[in-house]
Amino acid sequence: MSESGSRRGRQSAIRIFAQEYSESSLIERGVGEYDPSFVITKLGAKVNRCLVCGGLERMERRDGDSGPFYRGQIRDPSGTHYFDVAPFQPELHPDAEELLARFETGDSILVSIVGRQKSNESEDGGIFTSIRAESFTEIDLEAYKSWMVEAADATLRRLDAYSASQGVELTKESFRDAGIPDDLLTGLMKSREHYSEFDTEAYKVWILKAFSRALGRAEESLEVTIGNVSEPEEGPPKQATDSADPRDVILGILASNGGDLVEYDALVGACISAGSSREEAEDTIENLKDVSMEISEPRFGFFSVSS
Amino acid sequence: MSDQTTYANQIAVVKQECPDADEGEIGKEFARYEKDFLIPPEDALRSVIRKFQAATGVEIAPNTSTPVRAEKKVQRFSELGADDRNVAIEVAVVSYTPRTQMVRGEEKQIAFGWIEDNPWEASSERVRWDYKDWGNKGETMIPGSVVRLEGASVNEWNDKRSINVNRTTRVTVLKEGGGSAPPTGNEPLSIARASEVEGFVNVVGRVLSAKPDVIVRKDGSGEIPIVRGKISDSSGSIGFLSWKDFEHKVGSLVKIVGASVRKFRETPEIQINDGTVIETYHDTAFPDVSELVESEKVSIADLRNGMREISITLQVESWAQRTFESQDGSSKTVRSGDVMDPTGRCRLTAWCEFDPKPGDSIRIEGGRVQFWQGSPDLVIDNLDQVSSLSDAPWEKIDPENHWVEVDLTSVTQGGSRRGISTAGTIVAINSGSGIIERCPDCRRMLRDGSCSEHGPQRGEEDLRLRFVLDNGVANANLFLGKEPAEEFLGMSMEEVKSEISNIGREVFVSNLKGRVLARKMLVHGRCSVDGQGAMLFADRVEIVDPKPAEEAKEVMERWEVVL
Repeated sequence: MSESGSRRGRQSAIRIFAQEYSESSLIERGVGEYDPSFVITKLGAKVNRCLVCGGLERMERRDGDSGPFYRGQIRDPSGTHYFDVAPFQPELHPDAEELLARFETGDSILVSIVGRQKSNESEDGGIFTSIRAESFTEIDLEAYKSWMVEAADATLRRLDAYSASQGVELTKESFRDAGIPDDLLTGLMKSREHYSEFDTEAYKVWILKAFSRALGRAEESLEVTIGNVSEPEEGPPKQATDSADPRDVILGILASNGGDLVEYDALVGACISAGSSREEAEDTIENLKDVSMEISEPRFGFFSVSS
Repeated sequence: MSDQTTYANQIAVVKQECPDADEGEIGKEFARYEKDFLIPPEDALRSVIRKFQAATGVEIAPNTSTPVRAEKKVQRFSELGADDRNVAIEVAVVSYTPRTQMVRGEEKQIAFGWIEDNPWEASSERVRWDYKDWGNKGETMIPGSVVRLEGASVNEWNDKRSINVNRTTRVTVLKEGGGSAPPTGNEPLSIARASEVEGFVNVVGRVLSAKPDVIVRKDGSGEIPIVRGKISDSSGSIGFLSWKDFEHKVGSLVKIVGASVRKFRETPEIQINDGTVIETYHDTAFPDVSELVESEKVSIADLRNGMREISITLQVESWAQRTFESQDGSSKTVRSGDVMDPTGRCRLTAWCEFDPKPGDSIRIEGGRVQFWQGSPDLVIDNLDQVSSLSDAPWEKIDPENHWVEVDLTSVTQGGSRRGISTAGTIVAINSGSGIIERCPDCRRMLRDGSCSEHGPQRGEEDLRLRFVLDNGVANANLFLGKEPAEEFLGMSMEEVKSEISNIGREVFVSNLKGRVLARKMLVHGRCSVDGQGAMLFADRVEIVDPKPAEEAKEVMERWEVVL
């Protein structure tokens, strides 16, 4: 285990929420024939294999040049994992067919997936991470809650190591002295080099959501604190913790709108319904349009995703 | 309150995007997310909108394949010719000595040292070659590490071959060295530190034992006299093997300069050669023999293959003797049994007339460890290595119920041991689960009715289950033989057979998946750990039912999370 691991030793299945995985943009490709590749997350998890769970949101069969394959996505408290079953995995096709049939009945299905990291780079350099399933199975609500706790535990462990690594010299010895566990050492060093500093607050939000669901306390308010776990000494100001990020809402609506223009008021309204203030929503739209240029305004008052 | 009123705000947003969608349906969808997937409506917004719109799948471009390099890939040095260039091989780095050399009138930083092929096996299975590093690879070629060299070349000079590591050679670290390079200076290392490196070291320690011994040459050309023993400091102890005279008596304090540390099986050992200097050392503060012996005591969990000079306290669980005919025709008796201590259990073999009773407490001095069926086996060769203890060193251990709880990560990092319990999640069912056929001669599994050793055979049927147990940080292959598999499945082997012939192998495995995949499993049994990973052989297993509320409380306490 740990670090580079023993030769051809099996990679352990990292418990990881969708958000941490999907935010990753650092890929380490193995150079040799049998070297594993990794998605390295902001928190330093080196993901070659992962164990994820969630509600099945989509499942479909497609026919490609080399045969049928399956795509799906599962939803956890933080976001969405994308997975597929490839044409060259015929042994999984009967299970995939069964899952597809179950999905098409309209039933709510909770799924557990063990899979390998997969990543694709778009022409503009964006990284899209997904999962190539190795096995999957339907699970019950108790098992799902239990996985959420395990994933929260693993994420908190990484957050702890991440905050311990802040300000520490980028050498193995210094990291070890700072108490970083061996299995996170190289990943965390690489993530520190690659990613700029970021706010860990958002991570805590879905961890707390996971705990409150596992305890069956979904309705309670999420006015929360976390101990000395991962509080950065001087973090940027906290965002409101109980609402969806207006940026996500806006980009989500525009992306799901098939390129059609969406009205300014509709975007603001959506953000407000998702818990943001009007000011936040308006600032976010302005920021997306003028600063990050992720959205554009082809016609006054109407928006689309920048192409 | 109906779904429509509960989720009115969210429904309004969805309606803006999907004017044709039915409000009742939208409300139901939000309810489904909240109740079945535990996702509150504000978080489910995007998903629900997406669902009610035409799904827009992102087409993903296939990966471009990487170009293939023409290289000669070998496992052993012996496969290399004198002219080979662009060689790929995995090696263990034994030493790395930097040197400044004048090359064509220019001062160049180069390095030389030893590398060994077959790096995943014990040093006795390896071949050692010289190498030169022309490419400043000092940061990756750390002694003790295992690296893959790609683009190295063979150099032959005076009939001796060596490896050149060039500037363009790619060095990939496969296994980190045990810490940084051993010092090239004269500074002694603590014995604990010296045990982690492979290569040259200087140590200061007190001689705990020193006995003359002989090594018989394999070619029958005679014997080589050697001295075996052990030296110790406050950090630990290490065995030594001296190829030259060793005149220092037990109890004397020595400084050993320029000895090399190599691994015998899984145990590091100091080798004293002609070039090694041993001198008497003076330090009045150095712990004396009795103190060092006291700290020497090991427990069953510490045992590793190849250890010698072991001191250990044990409780005997069972004892038996058997007589067999040795190769020279004389009859020999070996006594053996199971022994325990609070850290686990193992086997004890006695090549002497030692006859303890179950429940006896015994103390062993100077025992050795070899491996028997993948587990450490303590061995004593004569009676003065063992003594009976009148007082039990610990409260009597109940052999029926002696399982030492070890978390899976520690299992994979520790040595092979018996009598443990550990837990993890089943993440895979390996092939060869179910009814298999074994070779009647060697018990190997037959493939297509044929044994890899004994050819086509009429196989003997057996039941076996193979899983992978994983805790997110470490993993192990888990094996269930016939009895534990029958108990776990709740079926006899005959019943399993008839079920498989009724429903087919695929359905049997698929049912098994539904039962174990993603479930937590508690395992009682033994483990065997080597360079390839850990294997668990179960005596019994059980599925642990999830208790999310309890688990959540425990994790929140661990990380000081307050809701």
